[in-house]
Amino acid sequence: MTHQVALTIITKIKPGETEDIKRLLKAMSSNVAQNDVIPFGKFSTIHFARLMVLEESRDLKGVVIPPSLVFIGECDAPLDRLLHELVDLAGEGLDKIYCHCEGYPTEGEITHARRLAYLRAGMIKVPAFYVNTVGRTVEQILQEAQLRDAIQDFLDDSQQDWSGHSSLDVRAKIQAYVCNKQTLSWARKLPAQPSLSFKLKETLHLVGVPLLLLVLLPVLILALPIWLLLLRIHELSDTARDIKPDAAHVQELAALEDFGAQNQFSAIGYIKPGWFRLLIVLGVFMAIDYGVRHIFNKEDLAGVKTIHFARWIVIDGYRRAIFASNYDGSLESYMDDFIDKIAWGLNASFSNGVDYPRTNWLIFDGAKDEQAFKNYIRVHQIPTQVWYSAYDRLTALNIANNARIRLGLFRNMSETEAEEWLRLL
Amino acid sequence: MADTLDLQDIQGLIIRSYGNLRAACYILLEISDPRLAKMWLSTLANVITNGQARPEEKALNVAFTNSGIKRLGLEPAEYGFSDEFITGIATAHRSLLLGDIEESSPARWIWGGPGTKQIDMVLMMFAKDDHELSDMYEAYAKEFADNNGLVEVLKLDTVDLGDKEHFGFNDGISQPVIEGSGRTASSMHTIKAGEFLLGYPNEYGLYTDRPMLKPAMDPEGLLPHDSSGSGDKDLGRNGSYLVFRQLRQDVRGFWQFLDQATKKSDGSSDPTASVKLAAQMVGRWRSGAPLLETPERDDPRPQLVKANDFTYYQTDPYGFKCPIGAHIRRANPRDSLDPQPGTEQSIAIGKRHRILRRGREYGPPVDTAGRTQGHAAMGGDKPTPLQDEDRGLHFLCLNANISRQFEFIQHTWVNNPHFNGLYDDADPIVGAHYADGSMFTIQAKPVRKRLTDLPRFVSVVGGAYFFMPGIRAIRYLASV
Repeated sequence: MTHQVALTIITKIKPGETEDIKRLLKAMSSNVAQNDVIPFGKFSTIHFARLMVLEESRDLKGVVIPPSLVFIGECDAPLDRLLHELVDLAGEGLDKIYCHCEGYPTEGEITHARRLAYLRAGMIKVPAFYVNTVGRTVEQILQEAQLRDAIQDFLDDSQQDWSGHSSLDVRAKIQAYVCNKQTLSWARKLPAQPSLSFKLKETLHLVGVPLLLLVLLPVLILALPIWLLLLRIHELSDTARDIKPDAAHVQELAALEDFGAQNQFSAIGYIKPGWFRLLIVLGVFMAIDYGVRHIFNKEDLAGVKTIHFARWIVIDGYRRAIFASNYDGSLESYMDDFIDKIAWGLNASFSNGVDYPRTNWLIFDGAKDEQAFKNYIRVHQIPTQVWYSAYDRLTALNIANNARIRLGLFRNMSETEAEEWLRLL
Repeated sequence: MADTLDLQDIQGLIIRSYGNLRAACYILLEISDPRLAKMWLSTLANVITNGQARPEEKALNVAFTNSGIKRLGLEPAEYGFSDEFITGIATAHRSLLLGDIEESSPARWIWGGPGTKQIDMVLMMFAKDDHELSDMYEAYAKEFADNNGLVEVLKLDTVDLGDKEHFGFNDGISQPVIEGSGRTASSMHTIKAGEFLLGYPNEYGLYTDRPMLKPAMDPEGLLPHDSSGSGDKDLGRNGSYLVFRQLRQDVRGFWQFLDQATKKSDGSSDPTASVKLAAQMVGRWRSGAPLLETPERDDPRPQLVKANDFTYYQTDPYGFKCPIGAHIRRANPRDSLDPQPGTEQSIAIGKRHRILRRGREYGPPVDTAGRTQGHAAMGGDKPTPLQDEDRGLHFLCLNANISRQFEFIQHTWVNNPHFNGLYDDADPIVGAHYADGSMFTIQAKPVRKRLTDLPRFVSVVGGAYFFMPGIRAIRYLASV
């Protein structure tokens, strides 16, 4: 199956063992792909993965939330196969991690099935999951990068001066080169598509949600003025303190950033108290879910083309929300994209968090308060202790371009079309 | 509505480059005795060149580092100085972000690095000629020697190459114009004052964070009130952040690389081709004429040499005239930014990432006439051999938000191997050419040309982030 799924496992850390886990994670992070705990590079269906500790925290009423460990993966379906692989290839590594968590079987009683059951028990649902391009697998991304590299090297190595040639001629030479390379034989076929059952499910969702809304329309219309009134009351009375991030906190986060083309982002925050905000959160997550599945499902999240994956989840009995993403470039450019291009979307989802910059009518202002927004982001960001990318030298734009090179390689083309195709190189 | 610029309070270098004052030097200083230094500073405040009138003879400006502000008695972290300024240019993470690694690593810097002497302030001197400048410097050197609480750490000299930089290109053509400064430019280059001056609205219509004090800390009423209305005293107003980087240029390596890369099939050099390749890497010809207007050959007509109102995406979306990765196309992408390249919206996004450049060259120029083919004489008459002395650019730029302006440009555009859909191409001229960034792609029909394994031509040998206060703020700092 070629569509993507979101793995999220959250487990409570045993009292006093947070530092042990952090030490282990730190050791893993020095060689994420090949470490001996979970060698992420051995899993052919993992795009990105991360492990991070949620420190002990006090909720808005002062109730203590004990520390927990979050394991996140962005993977190719089916999820169940990955869980099996994890236990098969990294069973003992999982023991090393999860022996510090509540409820993990003790040493004598560990079995394959119990490990699997533990992971399953810790899994939580992801209400909204953005995938840059639905259906593009790790294998496809790596293969297409290999194809582009091979074509580029061919163009360099052939020592040809191509300037006198027609586009169709250059293209024919490239095709001949690819045909001659056994390792690129897969490129003669088109990439695999998501399964029929997946497509059917998505189509049902595409049509079903608007139909349901249509049925509910009379109720919604009646509720709208009340909802707007309540929204304004909340927006005008909610606190919106501009809290500066602590210098040591920023330093800790920055030390984990900008090693390559991509970066990770993880943030957590309390949802504003009361049923009204919670209702908005759930509604907005449903809207995001619909948007990313049916509208923003190919290379572009409402104008932002640098995000590989993003997810929104609710934890701790609807008290806190987590946002986690993988993006290209620096945090500064990421935040600027948020402000310049999709402030409305950020506002709708994040403004239900405590002390988000003041919004108007849910989608206006908010993130447009540049520095207050950037402060909010840094204050709520948490360190991602372990982070893995299967293709850390490729940006989302590179991946999209590679896919286009492959799609057009053996298609029939006119001279003009061939000229356009060669521009991808 | 932007209020009018308070030119009397703004240091002159923010308003103008002093192009008529051809000689300049920068004195890096340590404050050894804050009490004496403050007395000296309060006198200095009277002679600092402000932004009102263009100086004809000489000019003097001053800026402080984080440690300098501290020595004067204010703890920057407590009063709202920016995080970049407080932590400084040489932190491990910032080095990654700015590409200051390997030979450019702060550990190897001759100033501003972890192993060099502390820099508290910089005194910038400009004069109409070398003679005047040396008189000016001698006078101050005497004052430093006279126990005024200041120690000269390093004197950085500059050299006058006309409008050229060391590689032989006309430089400094494209500059933003500060809205309200009285100068005019097209809307693309007219930028809100708050992007360069603290205490004024920026391109978001907001006030950039800046140092602010409670009124009780300013009993003498030296500082202006916060114009955004908080009631606090504005220590930042009319000030700016100054990024100072000493960039060493490997002129010989640059032209040797070009010579090699453009050798004819019989092994002989092709000077015309190597100059053209250099121009493709820069995005302008040596005269300054942009490739976008004249892609095939240099054209030194005045209207082309100063041409700056062009856009990229509208005229050259695929980089056939000016390569996508050319230095000037990435240092200011104009209308090429997502989500809608070629539109006003794209230009508006770019306007949030502009800097005022105020750099000057240093080190003896290399006259390669008769030696390295492809690089014609830069003015000297007799051919002299290539010299190995240090030469380069004292890169100075001013901005209100170092993170969103200078650092963003450096990381997201200039040094980014993936800029605008590229893969492995950092800036061909100033970029860090390591594993991921050592290629240069020249888009062409029917298919691109590509250069691989570009060496690094420009390295960083020193640097610091400074705060350049308004003149009232200098008086305040002298009174703390």
